[in-house]
Amino acid sequence: MAPPATAVADSLASPERPRDSRANIDIMAPTHGVQWPYFLALGAAVLGVLQALTVLLYQTYVGLGVAGYQQPVFWGVYIVTFVFWIGIGHAGTLISAILFLFRAKWRNAVNRGAEALTVFAVITAALFPILHLGRIWKLYFLIPYPNQRALWVNFKSPLLWDVFAISTYASISIVFFYIGLIPDIAIARDRATGVKKAIYTVLALGWQGTGPQWKAHSRSILHLSGLATPLVLSVHSVVSWDFAMSIVPGWHATIFAPYFVAGAVFGGFAMVINILIPVRRIFRLERYLTEYHFENMSRFILFTSTICGYAYAAEYFIAWYSGVEYEQTTFWLRAFGPYWISTWCMITFNVIFPQLLWIKKLRTNLPFLFVLCLFINLGMWFERYVIIIGSLSRDYISGSWGIYVISPVELSVLAGSFCWFSMWFLLFLKVFPVIAITEVKELEIHARDHGGAH
Amino acid sequence: MPTLVSVFDLPSNTASAVRKLKDRGFDDLKTYSPAPFIELELAEDPKPSKVRRFTLIGGLSGVTLGFLMQIWMSLEWPIKIAGKNFASIPPFWIVGFELTILLGGFFTFFGLLIVGGLYPKRLDKHYDLRFSAEEFGVVVTCDERDVAEVEALLRAESAKEVTLADS
Repeated sequence: MAPPATAVADSLASPERPRDSRANIDIMAPTHGVQWPYFLALGAAVLGVLQALTVLLYQTYVGLGVAGYQQPVFWGVYIVTFVFWIGIGHAGTLISAILFLFRAKWRNAVNRGAEALTVFAVITAALFPILHLGRIWKLYFLIPYPNQRALWVNFKSPLLWDVFAISTYASISIVFFYIGLIPDIAIARDRATGVKKAIYTVLALGWQGTGPQWKAHSRSILHLSGLATPLVLSVHSVVSWDFAMSIVPGWHATIFAPYFVAGAVFGGFAMVINILIPVRRIFRLERYLTEYHFENMSRFILFTSTICGYAYAAEYFIAWYSGVEYEQTTFWLRAFGPYWISTWCMITFNVIFPQLLWIKKLRTNLPFLFVLCLFINLGMWFERYVIIIGSLSRDYISGSWGIYVISPVELSVLAGSFCWFSMWFLLFLKVFPVIAITEVKELEIHARDHGGAH
Repeated sequence: MPTLVSVFDLPSNTASAVRKLKDRGFDDLKTYSPAPFIELELAEDPKPSKVRRFTLIGGLSGVTLGFLMQIWMSLEWPIKIAGKNFASIPPFWIVGFELTILLGGFFTFFGLLIVGGLYPKRLDKHYDLRFSAEEFGVVVTCDERDVAEVEALLRAESAKEVTLADS
């Protein structure tokens, strides 16, 4: 039987190369071409990493003494910065997993950037306990591995829980990130040439957007969201137990887990805003990252800032109400002792400044948001500094009190950590789309099909 | 066997075409979509995805492995810590939980690869660049005598293009 005339006509026609979708063109644009400001930024980040690496080689050769540790403070800037970066990593999973389960559609434009931020922040954080070891070649002692003496790690220690929590969080974040990327890598594959095409072809795993592929993909994201939601809550809880399981005044508190989780989400959102505002401006993504998205993130910041403020107040109240003089002294010294600047910076930046977000105009004022979030990030670093250094330097016995001074080595490594994080994020921007293209299309096509109704 | 490649603009039309094709017994079909749409998924295959089994098996393996590992290792070199039992269950929940999530996540990923048939491979002959832009594709293989009926059905559902690819 001869095929119908119309079908033959279509097959004989030589259609022009079809127009690409606007979302593909706009969002993939940052991955094309080379701009000198980008390479300037990348070069600065790489240099920052190299200087930190050099300093770390020096520290490894000479010993941890150069890192400012001195009696009685043996958890210093490295642990402060470790907790800071782990906290930063929380917004990504919150946006990807928890807001996905709540069907908050606005997350679609910001989730990719936030997920990338999570992965790179966790990779950065994971370096710090290793640097803090001093003898970094003994790292494998943390892993339960069969050894001659059949001596195993201590599973009752919160430090070991941390090893499992952080490595699980890093692994799941990477898996989540990659699964979300697969359809977008296929878009890049279909439009790339040469070596780039070959790499994207391998990474896209033969993705074509067929029915079974989308179905498996959607369910994988759903199940991973279900797994990642308790995980994200557990990770910073476990980190908080590094402190709360001890009997050090100022640390031994049951409020620590929710307090740390809220603080992590707070700081994480601030970092997402700090990164997405310049990305949006430089790569002309205003159509996708709108003021609406930033306003919603501002609301999260306001909400979690209030929780942090409550936690700060509750800590002081419990110290007073407990009647334990060690607790009372610790908290008095936090506010009026040698580290008072850090404490008041923490309260001002994390609780007082964000209250301005009650004003709607400020929630959509991006330059204001950018500056506010810089302060919040600083405030969150100070929060961990106050908790760790404040408590360790003022123990039970006043004779063992001491003063901790940050060493140039620690400052160098701290700066290097920001460069390390920036380096990975800049590389990511050039290789993968910073906004989830298929998720944006899902909303656009749905709106076109159903006139914007859900 | 003849293969008809049709292109649609909207997911609702694509889903409707798939549903009608299946109702008429044309089950040898494949869809391509630039994004996930629930109506299309329900039209093509309303059964629950098998990925969930991988997640469940992974999670259960993780929690089992986590507890067994900790209990065995604690008993192999018994040291009394903080007055707790050698194999003390409450603190073991932390690592047990983390391994549940870890293996659950990894198994979900493997489930995606297996169920979705994802591995580096040659793309389908009828796959089109437009399907990763904003258009939808339905590829139907049918007997020669059914070509006219399938084409009519596709066009009735607003297919903007129907091409006879193989015959």
